[in-house]
Amino acid sequence: MPSGNRARGQREVARMTASAIVSIVSLLSATLCAPLAAQWLDHPTPGIPRAPDGKPNLSAAAPKTPDGKPDLSGVWYRLSPKYGRNIAADLKPGEVQPWAETLVQQRHENLSKDSMNTLCLPLGPAYTTAGDGTTSAGMMKIVQSPGLIVILNPDLTYRQVYMDGRALETTPNPNWMGYSVGRWEGDTLVVDSFGFNDRTWLDSEGHPHSEALRTTERYRRRNLGTLDIEMTLSDPAVYAKPWTVAVSAELAADTEMLEYVCNENNKNREHWVGTAADDRKSGIKVAPEILTKYIGTYEEQPKFWSHVPRTVQITVSGAALFGDMDGRGMTPLVALSETSFSGLYGLGVDFVRDDQGPVTQLFVKHVSGNYKFLRKK
Amino acid sequence: MTSWKIAAAWWAAAPLFAQWINYPSPGIPRLPDGRPNLSAPAPRTADGHPSLAGIWQLEPAPCAPDAIAACGGDYRGGREFGNIGVRLPGGLPYQPWAADLVKKRTADLGKDDPVAWCKPAGALRLWTYPPYRKILQMPDVMVILSERDVTYRQIFTDGRLLPKAPSPSWNGYSVGKWQGNDFVVETVGLREGTWLDRNGSPITEGAKMTEKVRRTNFGNLEIDVTIDDPKAYTKPWTVRLHQLLVPDTELLDYYCNDNEKDSAHAIGK
Repeated sequence: MPSGNRARGQREVARMTASAIVSIVSLLSATLCAPLAAQWLDHPTPGIPRAPDGKPNLSAAAPKTPDGKPDLSGVWYRLSPKYGRNIAADLKPGEVQPWAETLVQQRHENLSKDSMNTLCLPLGPAYTTAGDGTTSAGMMKIVQSPGLIVILNPDLTYRQVYMDGRALETTPNPNWMGYSVGRWEGDTLVVDSFGFNDRTWLDSEGHPHSEALRTTERYRRRNLGTLDIEMTLSDPAVYAKPWTVAVSAELAADTEMLEYVCNENNKNREHWVGTAADDRKSGIKVAPEILTKYIGTYEEQPKFWSHVPRTVQITVSGAALFGDMDGRGMTPLVALSETSFSGLYGLGVDFVRDDQGPVTQLFVKHVSGNYKFLRKK
Repeated sequence: MTSWKIAAAWWAAAPLFAQWINYPSPGIPRLPDGRPNLSAPAPRTADGHPSLAGIWQLEPAPCAPDAIAACGGDYRGGREFGNIGVRLPGGLPYQPWAADLVKKRTADLGKDDPVAWCKPAGALRLWTYPPYRKILQMPDVMVILSERDVTYRQIFTDGRLLPKAPSPSWNGYSVGKWQGNDFVVETVGLREGTWLDRNGSPITEGAKMTEKVRRTNFGNLEIDVTIDDPKAYTKPWTVRLHQLLVPDTELLDYYCNDNEKDSAHAIGK
């Protein structure tokens, strides 16, 4: 099988198990839902500029539609590791209502048992920021017509953005995908949305929102291969002030989205048992002089699929080891042995020393396999 | 039943305060009194092909005024929703095992229908399911958006060929091309276990589906669906689905798995 297919397949498995994956039983059952080899994964995208060797010229100018607007059409990977995990990462303490902070803690403790991904429900406003760079949850296909832009998601849901000049209604009936209208400001597509129900989480940590949530997204296609997205969220009942997060999207040229149906054979949730505290309880103490040997930056080799390789950073704080992947946020790791840890957003980490003793690499452990990261510094 | 009771039954099933539900469709031909002129000629796209764009529903089965609630309330279904071969003389040409299966599924009151378990309806049932569908037509792709599960199907029109060894999926893999005023869609890779109708007419993995879609005038769409599946049917069969334009409204957003508590009560017989 071509490596592109393999990587996609792995990402699909990762997609199945998106959100917190801690229970081993969940991991095993999740693999049962993985799709088989899929079609048109290597289908060349027609009509895109290419280098002499046939590779898409991703730095070529952004295409335009016949009416002169930037054409955002295409299959995209949204990369949002930081805000996909924590939409409020840039907010200051006190800017999130205390009840909402408590709810996030509870959801973490319950291993995200009630997340959209475990309940097989749409992500609502969170599709824009859901791509964590590891899975294809952040894939989208934009179909742009003059009066309507449609965004297709791999989970077979879609979102409509009306471009015919209509205004958002003032008292919308809350629904999963909200109501969206868009307009062009120069080369930027500006999308205002309103009318989401309050049942979706804004990120994998479980930050809540109310029915009063309003979002404004700004889409700008910098070149053929890059789409810059900013989303401003406003929800005064939960967050003290509106704030803006940035998401980058890469063109997924020469491929197609796979069909992913969460509810296909969803038997995972009955196995979704335990709490985060169970994991901490099973941890052991590792001597600080051993932990400090792991401090460093590790880069994935070979890179997974994105234009840039994934990176893991390891630090020590107090007597505990902390890890971060792609800026998602430092998270405490739980030692299962001197070299084996859990807790990297549901993933495991194994450190490997060479014969002389220094730590040269680590493996990020996922249900789809172990991924090798070489130490850079 | 008095008329207010009929109205009450209709409203009970209708979502409240839905958005843009009375929004006038822009750019459609209208009669002097402002109503859409559904017998106007079919519109065309900039490249000269007929435009299939619009919101459509399967022609609802005739329903007596005092039985509207029983016919599905605001989501009145067409006859093919229950039995895709209802208008075929002699019915669908089932292979013996398929006939037995349909008999069993019907006797079980359709309790194993994937739709009853909030799974996708599949490509064919996107046409026959009572909730509306919207067609978006672009030069390189036709997208069908369904109200049910906020879900969609893509039909590629960029000249690609069908995959030779498709991995089965709910919607299959569809490519379309224009033959005169007919939009001809070929689909393979349909997933075994999909039901073609509420009776439970089966389909197997080797099946090929061909749809010939034509917009006979502004308000009407004819879809001739041919299923060629020798494992399940003794010969290929073709049925015509008649879709009516639903102007001046928008799709609502309905998600089956939202608060799903029905499947535990689906016990059959």
